[in-house]
Order: sequence, then C-alpha cells, then structure tokens
Amino acid sequence: MTHAAETSAVRGSAKPKSSPRKEPRIGFEGAMMAPGLLLLAALSIVPFLALIAMSFSRVRLLGGVRLDLVGLSNWARFFTDADMWMSWLRTIIFFVLTVGLEMALGIGIALCLFRVLRGRNILLALLLLPMFAAPSIVGLLGRYLTDSTFGLYAWVLRAFGYSGDILGAPISAFAAVVLMDVWEWTPLIALITLAGLSSVPQSVREAAAVDGARGWMTLRYILFPAISNVLLVALLIRSMDAIRYFDIIWVTTNGGPADATKIVPIRLYETAFRFFDLGYAAAIGLAMLAFSIFIARTFVRLLDVRGLTR
Amino acid sequence: MTRAATSDQWRQFQGATLNFISENTAPTAAIAANTKPFTDLTGIDVRIVTLELSALVQRVALDLASGRAQYQVIYADPYQVLAPYQRGLVDLRSLEADPNLPKLPGGVGDFIPVQMDAAGRFVEPAPYYALPYDAPTMIWQYRQDLFAKYHDRMTQDLGFDPTPSGDRTWEEYFRIAQWFNKNGTEDVKYGTGHQARQHDSLMNDFSNVLWSYGGNYFDHGKEVGRLGSRDPGPCRLDSEAAIAGAEFYNRLLSIADPASKTWDWDGVGAAFRAGRLAMCPNWHEFAASNELVLPGKVGYSVLPKGPVATANMYGGTGIGISANTMPNERGAAWLFLVWATSPETQLANLKSKAGGGTPTRTSVYEMPEVRAAEKRPSSMPNMLAAAAVREAWTPERIGLRPKIPMWNECNTAIFTQLSTMLSGAESPAEAMRSIKSRVDQIVARGWVA
Repeated sequence: MTHAAETSAVRGSAKPKSSPRKEPRIGFEGAMMAPGLLLLAALSIVPFLALIAMSFSRVRLLGGVRLDLVGLSNWARFFTDADMWMSWLRTIIFFVLTVGLEMALGIGIALCLFRVLRGRNILLALLLLPMFAAPSIVGLLGRYLTDSTFGLYAWVLRAFGYSGDILGAPISAFAAVVLMDVWEWTPLIALITLAGLSSVPQSVREAAAVDGARGWMTLRYILFPAISNVLLVALLIRSMDAIRYFDIIWVTTNGGPADATKIVPIRLYETAFRFFDLGYAAAIGLAMLAFSIFIARTFVRLLDVRGLTR
Repeated sequence: MTRAATSDQWRQFQGATLNFISENTAPTAAIAANTKPFTDLTGIDVRIVTLELSALVQRVALDLASGRAQYQVIYADPYQVLAPYQRGLVDLRSLEADPNLPKLPGGVGDFIPVQMDAAGRFVEPAPYYALPYDAPTMIWQYRQDLFAKYHDRMTQDLGFDPTPSGDRTWEEYFRIAQWFNKNGTEDVKYGTGHQARQHDSLMNDFSNVLWSYGGNYFDHGKEVGRLGSRDPGPCRLDSEAAIAGAEFYNRLLSIADPASKTWDWDGVGAAFRAGRLAMCPNWHEFAASNELVLPGKVGYSVLPKGPVATANMYGGTGIGISANTMPNERGAAWLFLVWATSPETQLANLKSKAGGGTPTRTSVYEMPEVRAAEKRPSSMPNMLAAAAVREAWTPERIGLRPKIPMWNECNTAIFTQLSTMLSGAESPAEAMRSIKSRVDQIVARGWVA
C-alpha cells in the first residue's frame, strides 16, 4: 500500500502544469493515408457487406441483380448439408497433408542444400522451377503425366504392378492432387527455410561444434530455435493458400471421382458459378472467410507470443 | 445504331458490330474461320468469343444480369441457358414476323422437328427462342476393320451376329466388349471405353442405358425432354427399371477400359482414335477426326437397345438473341441467325477444313452432294455418321434429358452419385435412391432466375 501511495505521489508530481495542446483527431499521417484507406474500404468492406446481405437472400439475376430476403434459410442449409460437411472434412485432410508434407520436405531439402557448398545456386534454381508454373499448368501437366494412355507416371506405376487409373479411383486421385500441390510449393518452403538458415551466425554454429554438438543436437538446439520464426511465417503463407486451393483440382479431377477431391473451394465455385445459387454461395464464402481468419489468427498469435508481430 | 435507308433487307444494319458467344464447338470453329461472306452480305462485323461450355454459361448469366447485351447472339444450350434463362432470350417469332427482315429459308419447318423443339422451345409449343445450330448425338462408334476381321469367330463364339446395329442389345454389346478383352488384345487394349468421368459426360453415357432399360428421370420423360418443364414432379430414378439400368451400367463399366472413369467425350474420343478401344458410345461429330486418324476403319450405328426401349442422347444446341439487345441490334442479330443456320452456311460448314458440325436442316440432308458424302471417299467426313444419326433422331430413338431450369444442379447430383457408384462406394440401388433424394430437394427449392 505504501508503495502504491508513493507511486501515486510520484505520478502526481510528474503531471505537467499547463494543459497539453489538443492533438488533431486525424494527424498528418492519417490525412495522407485516408485516400488509400477509403479506397481499400470501398474495395473490401462494401463487397463484404454485400456478401453478408446475399447470404440472407435469394439472388435474382435476370433484369439486374435483386435480393429477395429469405432469412436464415441459406445458413440453415449450410449447417445441415451433409455433402458440405464432407467437403469440409476433405478440406481439412487436404490442408493437413499438403502443408505437413510441404513443411517436412521443404525443411529437409533446405537442410541438404545448406550443407552443399558448390553448385548450390544451380541446385536452388532447378529446385525453384515448379514454383514458377501457374497452378493450372501444373494441373494440366499432372493430368497428362497420370493419363493411362500416354502418361509417364502411369507407365512407371504399371511397371510396379499398379493396373488402375490414378485419377480414376478416389484415394489415388486425392493423393495425386495433394502431391501435385506438394510438388509445386515445397520449393517455396525450402527457399524460406534456406534464407532462415543462412541468417544463423557462423560463430554460433562453430561454438556449438566446439561444445561437441553434432548433427541432431545442432538441429534441435541451435538451428530450429533460430529459424522457428521464419518457419512460422512460411506455414502461415502456405496455410492461407491451401485453404483456397482450387486450380489443380479443377483442371485434373473436377472434384471427382465420387466427390473424393471436392474440397470447399470447388463446392463454392460450383454453387456460385454453375448453379448460380449466389445466396448459398455467399454463406459458404463467409464460412471459408471465418475459417481462414481462424487459421491466420492462430499463427499470428503464435508469432505474437514470440514478439514477432511488433 | 439506326437502320440504313436501303431496299436491300440484308444491308439495313451495315456498320453494326455483333458479338457472338459460343461453346468451342466444331460449327462455330467453321463459322469463325469464315465470317467474311456474312460481312460482305450485310456490312455487319461479327466478333466471336468461344469458350468451354461451363465458362460460356457463366458469361451468359452474368451478361443477362448486367441488363446490357455485351453478347447479342448467344449459343443457347437448351439445358444450361435456354431452360434457366428463357426470359432473357428474345422470342424469335417477333423477328420472323417483321416484314422488314428476311425470312428463314424454308421456315422453321425445315429444321428437324424434334431438334427444333428440344433446342429452340421451352414449355410452350409456339414460341421459339433459338434456332437449331448443332446436333451432336451419341451413337455407337466401332472399329469396322476389326469387326470384319473377327466377324466369323465372334459369331461362332458369341452365338449371334456381332455387327453393330439397332437390333443389337446392350447385353450383346457387353459380351462383344468382353470378347475383345479376351481375344482382341493384339489389336486393341479393351473392347469398350466410356466417358465416365465425374462430369456431364457420365450422365450422358448412363442415360442411354437408363432409358433403354425403361428408366426415366421424371414422369412423362419424353415431354420433359422435348419441350421441357418448370416443375417436373418427383424424380423416378428409384424405380426398378432405373435400378436395373444402373446395375447393367455398373457391370458394363467393370469390364471397360479402367481409364473410362477419367474420360469425358474428348478423352474417350482420343483413346478410340489412339487404337485403344474396339468400340465406344460417343458424339457423332467425332466422325471427322476419326476419319482423319483411322481412315476407312470406323463404322457408325445407332446405340443398342435395352429390354424396354432404345435411346441415343441428343446434345444439340440452338443460337438465340439476348433480350437485353437494343431493338435495332436485334435486327442485325436476326440476320446473323438466319445466315448462320441457312442451308448454304450449313453446307459450307460441312466442307470446312476448320471443323464444321452436321446440319440441322432436313433440306441439307437431301442435297445430292451431301447424300453422296455419306459414303467413302467422302469430302464431308462428318456425313459418314449421317445414316446412324438420322435413325437416332426419330422420335422413338432420340434421347432427351430433362429440360428443366434447375438441370445444372440436378445433373451434378446425378453424375456425382454415378461416379460414387462406379467407385464401388455405393451399390446401384443406393446410388439411384441417393440421386432421387437429391434431385427432389433441388426441384423442391425451385429456380429463381
């Protein structure tokens, strides 16, 4: 209590005698940013509000867009649609598999490259090539490589006794689209990890070596703690992409066979632009947005705990 | 734009520009390669945008929603454009009746009647919103060289004449395919292949069997297919006949090329031309490309019959005019419709090196040079399938899927559950009941355009 009283007294004495000059409500910086912020608001907030309104409506197209309010029926349908829940389940499995494999392989490749001294740049350039292809091109490439008439992968698998069609069976088709995404985006994780590894001071690694730390010990206690923040950023970037994954599946399997690859973005596209059920599509879109925000917030909170967002 | 003061009906809109949006089909490829005759005739410039069908439907829907006609002339797929957006299309009777505009040569009566109804009309028998523009129809395509080579052996082994025709049954088709799987592997890898990807193509392929076994999507299937309906009533895929059809289809696909489950019509067409298959059901407009790769080796017939009926899926489309089109532009668009579907243009399309579909007018099929092209050597290779499709277009053989506004969503439910059945996750009976329940829900929600 005494301490509190003292503190209060100190605070009281520090109070300026003259009243402070009134700060303008919007400062110079605010005034400079205002046009950009207003434009951003128009581009994102207005469509967002329109999306919310659509999710409670049935949208008419002919003769100009009109909304007929239908209350909660789109949302009720969303929560009771068994096919939709299956799509969410597939999305989560897809998300875990792609991001998990990309992180594991990306880190592994980066660690290997980190040890290579000669020709690292050439290896890196080759490694990064898949990343420069548009996802739809990756999908087309995957479709041709797995085609049972002339596909290289189909031919190799046949040599190992696999007689089915890769994109024709639910499990193999799902695995194929996961692997196509992994093929394209593992290099990004490798690149980010490699950048993180390069920033670990040589002296720290040498000190660890002098102290007797070998392979796994160095990795566990020196390298991983040093690059964990970078890995978290990589994870965040890939997670956001994985939730919105669309192109490769659309080009290769179109959501089939037997809906095995119909993840939420495919169902959203189908509902909006094939069935033109824009009210229900708005509800699905908002749910996807909420899921994306949840994932992003989880990773940002992790970064925040480490003091990296400041 | 105003009408020019001229006595030539074809020149009154000279200087106008029309935008035509079409699926990337063979007839449009032929027209796009040769719009000069139309521009010379009318002074109207035509810009053609070709897209894959689902992309086309999106663009058309959004264009109709905009209230303006970026595309005045529309490739109006009967199931994905005409039925859901009929109110967005011009009733062409108003233009046909305009004394200032040229008449349709031969009138609408020159179009093959069933196609005029299926591609041009919706629900009411009088108004028409599109003119039949292409007419792909599923027929039996087979390697006639191999059927000739093995004819006697097959006849002896199978106990019937295997020559493809409308007298063969689906059960016999199955046995022929199985025979090739066992005995024809020197020449082909599989007896049959199908367009059984989780796609519109799977519904098309299955429907031929469904109807042959007496199944139907809705009551009064022929009427719902020909003129269409806004409220088709309950789905009938849970009937015993439909389940029997599904059971047969499932059995047929179990001996077909396993890659069938990844093919749409292009995929199965490419595999057939690559010499992988002895036969397949596919759209007849593949005849020209078949002839290019396998000259003289491919024969065509109507599809086999089932225990109850026979059916050949029709996939034709018309071209129409957006109702958002300004009044004077409607006249210009009408000129394009008349020209693009005229006998002269359809004949030119048949001869085009750029593609070309098959005519939709009776008079063109009666032209001596077109008749002559039905036999090899043919300067119009698509006509090699003409005898089969003429037979397929008779009312008792044509297969017409339901023309209802919510078809796109119903179709997706149908081919998705069929794909589930083919993957083994559901039995044919479960798949049919599951489709019925989904389709009933979709129809109950109704359609808001």
